[in-house]
Amino acid sequence: MSESLAVGHAQTRPAGRAAAADAAADAVGIAALDARRKLQLALGVIWVLDGILQFQPSMFTKSFPDMLAASAHGNPGVVAGPITWSANLIDHHVVVLNAIFATIQLALGLGIAWRPTLRLALAASIAWSLAVWWLGEGLGGILAGTASPVNGAPGPVILYAILAVLLWPADRDPGAPSVAGRATGRRPAQAVWLVLWGSLAAFALLPASRAPGVISDMLTDGADGAPAWLAWIDTHAASALSHHGLAASIVLAVLLALVAVAVYLPAPALRAAIVLAVVLAAAVWLAQGMGELFTGMATDPESGPLLALLALAFWPTVTRKEA
Amino acid sequence: MGGPAWLTAIFAAASLAVAVYCAGRLIAARRGHRPTELDTDGAHVIMGVAMAGMLVSGLRTLPSAIWEVVFAAGAAWFSYRMLQSRRGAQPSPWRSSHPLPHLVECAAMVFMFLILPSAAAGAATSGMSMTMTATESRFSFLTLPLALYLFGYVVWLGDRVTLHAPASALAAPTGDTRPAIGSGPGFAATQSYLAPRCAAICKITMGITMGYMLILML
Repeated sequence: MSESLAVGHAQTRPAGRAAAADAAADAVGIAALDARRKLQLALGVIWVLDGILQFQPSMFTKSFPDMLAASAHGNPGVVAGPITWSANLIDHHVVVLNAIFATIQLALGLGIAWRPTLRLALAASIAWSLAVWWLGEGLGGILAGTASPVNGAPGPVILYAILAVLLWPADRDPGAPSVAGRATGRRPAQAVWLVLWGSLAAFALLPASRAPGVISDMLTDGADGAPAWLAWIDTHAASALSHHGLAASIVLAVLLALVAVAVYLPAPALRAAIVLAVVLAAAVWLAQGMGELFTGMATDPESGPLLALLALAFWPTVTRKEA
Repeated sequence: MGGPAWLTAIFAAASLAVAVYCAGRLIAARRGHRPTELDTDGAHVIMGVAMAGMLVSGLRTLPSAIWEVVFAAGAAWFSYRMLQSRRGAQPSPWRSSHPLPHLVECAAMVFMFLILPSAAAGAATSGMSMTMTATESRFSFLTLPLALYLFGYVVWLGDRVTLHAPASALAAPTGDTRPAIGSGPGFAATQSYLAPRCAAICKITMGITMGYMLILML
């Protein structure tokens, strides 16, 4: 966008009604941010962060394709084959492809921010997320049996796609009690919530979470490369849970199940469950070493912030009676 | 930590381009008597030069200590502006209407220059490409919030960039007739704001580049 375009347009535009209309748009359309737009912008921020993380020096080295290839382990052949193929492809052209990946993610964030490209960016983010969920995260380890809420199951990137759908700028159900229900309708949104948090509860009871020492080991991993204060939190938590892994996974599963079913409860109970969901998301994020952002190897902030954002999208803005 | 040289060069070029463009804005504003945020543009001229020097060692101009003083002064100015706006002072088309993000930018620059010398002591060769990390620093907890704030600012700006020039940019706030740059013939405070969308794109570019530098320090 050149200066001459911007200034020229401004200088030649008609005064009077058009200017008044623009003033109204400026006041209402631009300055005013409703709850959904705020959540969309928060999603945009995370995409911008992802893009910049993808520009980190280590992403231009063999470490990046190796990390992708590792997600094939334990997956069925039909899932693992394309992962290995894409990791090999990236390995041969890591600099060019990684630069493209980073630029795409940055563009998704900026596209969500800029209103004229919002729909395009959200649609592209869904396609991109699904591709990365498969080729970059091995479907979150769901089929490999390694999925655990503590290690980011069901795969952070699928949460971007879910958020893009729930925050889509449509009003299929304008009277929905939360932002999440406006685009898809309240029942589909509730179903998404139930499946997501319910599956997290189920993952918490799988051997990948409940086996002795597993959660403790994940916490220890989260401390690797973290700053001292975060490493202190993770190592102390790991130490505290080292002999209580089964109990921790059961407590986690119960709390996640409570969150899952709360979407069908009255607004006050749902609000309490959403607060609990945000707290759990924060705890999971700390357990993940804040997405290992401090290691130089993070491609995203992991599932914690996305789960929190998703939970906020379900915050009841009006009571059911009013709706 | 060593990013590809071409990548840091691109970010350095972007920050220099913003510096040059903002210098041009200051000149154009003076010659054309068109309002622009003098403090923001001025800060971006200085910031662009400083950031380019941090990213590419060959572009270094001044010692870190001087930059620290410069950006501390910038932070003080934007703090003062913020206090003024909180007290309900009349907004001016010649000054930043949102000083907080620029205060954070200046603070981030001071933060990076404070971290940089200690990390640079061992390497002393190649700007940001050397082992510059805040993780070992006791102030490491500041790096991520600063980067996230800047990304939030970038996205917020993106939300406000419109296809058409916003009406608010076409006229000065009511009652403000102060000619901050000269008062030559033909000047009127209701002159259209100078290239508002380009100004926003400059801010976005600076926010992304500074965010990138902070992420490199994680």
